Amino acid sequence: MSEQAHEAVLRVEDLSIVYRTKRGDVKATSQASFDLHPGEALALIGESGSGKTTISLALIRKLPKNAVITSGHIHYQRDGSVQDVLKLSNRQLREFRWKDCAMVFQGAQNAFNPVLKVRRQFEDTAQSHGWTDKAAIRERALKLLELVRLDPERVYDAYPHELSGGMKQRTLLALGVLLNPQIVILDEPTTALDILTQRAIIDVLNDMQRQLRFSIIFISHDLSLAAEMADTVATVYAGEIVEIGPVNDIFYRSLHPYTYGLLTSVPTLGHMQDHLQSIPGSPPNLINPPAGCKFHPRCGFATDACKKEDPPLEQDIGTHLAACWHKDRLLESRKEPV
Amino acid sequence: MALPNSDLEINRSGVQSPVAAVQQFIAAYPIHKNYYVRIFVQAILTIWAVLTVTFFLVRQMPGNPIDVLIEQILTQEGISYQEAYDRVAASFNFDPDATMLDQYVDYVGDLLRLDLGTSITSPGTRIIDEIARFLPWTIFAVGSGFLISFVLGIILGMMMAYYRDSALDHTLSLVSSFFTGVPNYIWGLLIIIGPGISWNWFDVGAARGTYDPGLTPGLNAAFIGSAIEHALLPIITYVLATLGSWMLSMKSSTTGVLNDDYVNVAEARGLKDRRIITAYVGRNAMLPLFAQLSISIGFVLGSGVVIEEIFVYWGFGHYLFQAITVRDYTSVQGAVLILSSTFVFSNLFADLTYGLLDPRVRISGEK
Repeated sequence: MSEQAHEAVLRVEDLSIVYRTKRGDVKATSQASFDLHPGEALALIGESGSGKTTISLALIRKLPKNAVITSGHIHYQRDGSVQDVLKLSNRQLREFRWKDCAMVFQGAQNAFNPVLKVRRQFEDTAQSHGWTDKAAIRERALKLLELVRLDPERVYDAYPHELSGGMKQRTLLALGVLLNPQIVILDEPTTALDILTQRAIIDVLNDMQRQLRFSIIFISHDLSLAAEMADTVATVYAGEIVEIGPVNDIFYRSLHPYTYGLLTSVPTLGHMQDHLQSIPGSPPNLINPPAGCKFHPRCGFATDACKKEDPPLEQDIGTHLAACWHKDRLLESRKEPV
Repeated sequence: MALPNSDLEINRSGVQSPVAAVQQFIAAYPIHKNYYVRIFVQAILTIWAVLTVTFFLVRQMPGNPIDVLIEQILTQEGISYQEAYDRVAASFNFDPDATMLDQYVDYVGDLLRLDLGTSITSPGTRIIDEIARFLPWTIFAVGSGFLISFVLGIILGMMMAYYRDSALDHTLSLVSSFFTGVPNYIWGLLIIIGPGISWNWFDVGAARGTYDPGLTPGLNAAFIGSAIEHALLPIITYVLATLGSWMLSMKSSTTGVLNDDYVNVAEARGLKDRRIITAYVGRNAMLPLFAQLSISIGFVLGSGVVIEEIFVYWGFGHYLFQAITVRDYTSVQGAVLILSSTFVFSNLFADLTYGLLDPRVRISGEK
């Protein structure tokens, strides 16, 4: 673990975030820790409201005003020097954003300023980071737009409203890697797109990552997307990372009942499925989360121990970690892989 | 430009009515479908409607120019009514016995030749000259007031939105609601009564007119200084009366834009604050205000009538007021025509230029 930390481009440690609201503090993220390695694709999966987006917003310090980071570090490494993102000055933060870590937000429909041409928005981005040669910006932008399979010349000189939803999403991806960032965060990159466009976006993403070698953190509730894109998958439940590990381990040998529940709630092609299960109940109230394991009220394996003590995120084998008292029982109960 | 077959057949027969020719022309060149032609024709029709209503309405006002003057002469000179009537009728460029329709046809005919006619009460004075004499002062006062108020309102409104729910926001909200609530003529009176009379900050009498008597109009410091001094009170009034609504509109518009995704994304892109405030927030927030701007230019020009009367500022409003007082029909018509044209054409201008600010409404060639 400590060996890998040295080569991690991003190391999140013990990150806790609360939202201050009138009804109390919403514990949106509790003691999240994970490493992101160069070229790695990490998927954060979980239900809506589980805190996936909160974690990713914290990485570029773009949390809503009422959010407070109560503990933790976000170590970012570039060219051998390590900085804590949470300690950057405003100026450093502005430079860090997009140049080191770009975030492609959920729903690109309104991500572009409607009154400026795509060209101007590429130039704005580059110029704010000290890159002023317009011809060079154009050259790089056209190359990237081609990489995302758009007609570069036409898109570059278009206004955002002249592009379709899928085109905007791809243009935003191209803009995301304009400054050659080490990390690209993708928040639900394919939501609100039709199935063919989704397919195209995934292909484009795979292509881009192969060519440009950046690390990806992507947030999704689309498990098939995670299976296809990710090297590592982290399951987020009630603001906690309850399981993290290599994609195959998570999908074929999941050790947390919540992850398993997510997997069995998705229909699969290929073999007959007798039962499509849903996870009973709904995500807990994060102002007063349940004691012990936060998943126990919805868990079929829960025992008294689960109500009393929160299980730690423990190593199973290799880099596969899960926070559950009953990993063995879960494994035994499984008759067939999903 | 190829014509449909049916038209060709008509041509072959060699007989073609003028109506068919027009129909053919329109079919070949659908100018009525051209956006610019359409809105221009609409503007002209609007102005025509206004001038027609004005024409008949001023003549329905109690009293007529002759009666007004006769009354003045009667009280001043104590001669008989018939004597006064003859004298006035002889000196007037107005035949009270002509039917209204005849007068209207004459009037519209003159207008089509771009002739606003001459004043009724002072024959020989061309109305166009009078308007050219008075209008620039009003454009100067209203224009400066408007510009100051718009720019100030935009800046303060954006500040309120950026610091919303702060003490600054609450104070400015209160102030701007108050400014909006008080009508402009009340502001005018307050300025005269408060600083002018009670506190004696300036000489109310000397503020009359558009510049100090004895100065030669031209590009000299004394004249320009004096012109600004005389316009100052009306300008302040226009600013006070319109500032609040700009502030409130800009605040709500900016607050909306600040929640838009593209502003959030711009911050995540690490853009410099100044760039975000001007090109991302400011420009988008100003779009709805730009449409308001053209409408309120007309309103302010109209409300200038009262303000200029209060400050005895000899501008366009003062001219219109005087014309109404002596029932100088042609002058009133001329002034109202200018007023409504300003209103209609500023709207037209806004329509045509809105696309420069917002590419989404730009008119494509096909429409």
